[in-house]
Amino acid sequence: MIETQATTLEPVRHRIEVPLTPAEAFELFTAGIARWWPFRGHSCSGERAVDVEFEPQVGGAVVEVTRDGERHPWGTVTQWEPPNRLAMTWHPAQPVECATQLEVRFAASAAGCELHLEHGGWSARGDQAAEVLEGYRKGWAGVLGRFAAAAVENGR
Amino acid sequence: MLLAALADPTRESIVRLLADGERSVGEIAAQLPVSRPAVSKHLRLLQDSGLVSHRAEGTRNVYALEPATLQALRDEVDSLWRHALARYALVATNTTPGRTKRSRG
Repeated sequence: MIETQATTLEPVRHRIEVPLTPAEAFELFTAGIARWWPFRGHSCSGERAVDVEFEPQVGGAVVEVTRDGERHPWGTVTQWEPPNRLAMTWHPAQPVECATQLEVRFAASAAGCELHLEHGGWSARGDQAAEVLEGYRKGWAGVLGRFAAAAVENGR
Repeated sequence: MLLAALADPTRESIVRLLADGERSVGEIAAQLPVSRPAVSKHLRLLQDSGLVSHRAEGTRNVYALEPATLQALRDEVDSLWRHALARYALVATNTTPGRTKRSRG
């Protein structure tokens, strides 16, 4: 019996509310990121990092900049819809092949703006289970097909 | 933290690649700027540390993250955003109209 595992992990989700308009909140998150991002421990360059620049369009680069002008890619913009939505691939200090997916949404609320963040893009062996089963199924079909052909051949 | 324990950027890349799904040695080497023998060596270390497992699938050796490793990766991202968004909220809350580029007034 082939075991399957339902081990796909849910994306990380966070929600906060801030006393800003969605437009202000979007701008603080992007153009204003240097004012709040914890560069030490969470960047390519640590304390030498001074900003993260967003190229404001789909396909735009998101790049960490150091005080010496070094540039380190963080990811690529996949959705740029101010003031309501931003999405990007995420791979600071990693090859692009290791990217995960970040989406941030900004919605007007009574107190100003509700920010919803979702960071996902990982799966586990469980996702492969269906493919493995399919592979076994096709494999057996192939074996039985060859067996049947051989049986016919031997019968002649 | 998990990733500090990996102590090697290539091992970190391998773990992050496997977070997307299981891979064979060849598939991993094709996606990283590392040779197959080097990937095999890193995978052995990761396996000895209990972070990845492998199984034979026909002629392929396929590697996958142990569930605890995947969970640790996710926990790390969760913790990052908890920290970063707390700082974001602090700046947002302490921003007075005069200090923003566009004021409401």
